[in-house]
Amino acid sequence: MEEKNVFRIKHLGKTFGTHVVLKDIDFTVNTGDVTCIIGASGSGKSTLLRCMNLLETPTSGEILYHDEPITGKNFNQSSYRAKVGMVFQSFNLFNNMTVLENCMVGVTKVLKKSKEEARETAMFYLEKVGMAPYINAKPRQLSGGQKQRVAIARALAMKPEVILFDEPTSALDPQMVGEVLAVIRTLAKEGFTMIIVTHEMAFARDVSSHVVFMADGVICEEGAPEEVFGNPKTAKMQEFLTRFINN
Amino acid sequence: MPQTFGERILYIWERYSGSFMRGAANTMVIALISTFIGCIIGFIVGIIQTIPTDRKKNPVKWFIIGIIKFILNVYVEVFRGTPMMAQAMFIYFGSAALFNINMGMWQAAFFIVSINTGAYMAETVRGGILSIDPGQTEGAKAIGMTHVQTMVNVILPQALRNIMPQIGNNLIINIKDTCVLSVIGIVELFYTTKGIAGALYTYFEAFAITMVIYFILTFACSRILRFWEDKMDGPDNFDLATTDTLAHTSGMYSYKAKTAGNLNSDSREGR
Repeated sequence: MEEKNVFRIKHLGKTFGTHVVLKDIDFTVNTGDVTCIIGASGSGKSTLLRCMNLLETPTSGEILYHDEPITGKNFNQSSYRAKVGMVFQSFNLFNNMTVLENCMVGVTKVLKKSKEEARETAMFYLEKVGMAPYINAKPRQLSGGQKQRVAIARALAMKPEVILFDEPTSALDPQMVGEVLAVIRTLAKEGFTMIIVTHEMAFARDVSSHVVFMADGVICEEGAPEEVFGNPKTAKMQEFLTRFINN
Repeated sequence: MPQTFGERILYIWERYSGSFMRGAANTMVIALISTFIGCIIGFIVGIIQTIPTDRKKNPVKWFIIGIIKFILNVYVEVFRGTPMMAQAMFIYFGSAALFNINMGMWQAAFFIVSINTGAYMAETVRGGILSIDPGQTEGAKAIGMTHVQTMVNVILPQALRNIMPQIGNNLIINIKDTCVLSVIGIVELFYTTKGIAGALYTYFEAFAITMVIYFILTFACSRILRFWEDKMDGPDNFDLATTDTLAHTSGMYSYKAKTAGNLNSDSREGR
């Protein structure tokens, strides 16, 4: 596969009032990369991901998507978001729709495909995440892990170029974490470009091609997972890992 | 005139049941139509009041929407804050005197009740929209929906479901409150009863009948709306689609239930 920049983030900064959340973030995502962003809670991981999907407006710096700044005035946010999928910690499935409708609505309303086509796409991805038997269920009738798998299918049904995962397993119990991570692992094997914010260290080490460690709103350390986990250079990363091993 | 209370009620009912029914029918026509129009007004006002605007990003839009929001706020506050009976007098008699609009009695009645309901519903709809978890909006935006698409497909259906009890409330209030329209001469149930009571000098008995009629009307409406709410919620359980679900519609894609292993957790029937 041709190495190509999907995202280039340059000097990104974000403040909420006087509270600085992100400082001078720089990193690049190439096609086929599985980037895991790790770090303690409150280190700005989720905010970074939300900035990348424009759910938060960056205060300074820029995010380039295929060399086009996404914060520009005439940038088409809707079609950009259709190309960049997002999976949330709290699932955010549409409560008024069934599982199947959840996965179809974006395809019909945003991509303007026919209902038949949307249904086939939705079924294809629901089957991929093992939720095809549940197409008639409403979100309130599903368990957390099932909801998250539907949310992944919903994002996939848009056939996005990149999928952003914002702590996809943090709201789940250990058993459900497994089923969701298994789905994400499959996607990684198939070469999807993904950016995953996670607290699952073992998963991050196995699945990622690139690891970004954040602390206090800056990128402390980044590189190949073997490097970052096996041979951490900064004191903060070492301390972070020790805490995980001790637990 | 019969001697006992019960007999007097029967006597009045036999003589005037037609009038009572006509009065009740007028009451229901005004209440139903005005609640419906009021809901539409409420939705429009409530939706406009929740349009997000950013002064920095688009100052022109911010300014125009800001003015519209201000006008709508004035409307809501004025109509919520003054008695409907006073409004009825003011609008019915004032429109002819001030603006030379010769409003018919019925037009005035529909107008007054609708616009009142609209003012209350606007706040209800606004509350309904704000009560929806922001995650729903984020989920919709994340798959590329615009604000309008998000509202139509995701937020409003849920908001409508949440405010159904309040719509029912408004309908019941309207059924009862149409009686203030007697001041502008609408012959609804209350006005009818006053006539009947005055004719035979039997206030107690006539109003006993009217109370029962009002109660039947409101109770029936509240039950019908409750039934409708349950229908909106959909069934409590669902079928697992373990057969070829696409064969009937497209016939192109063959779905095989490979994932039967996941079904052992629970099928959640009968929840």
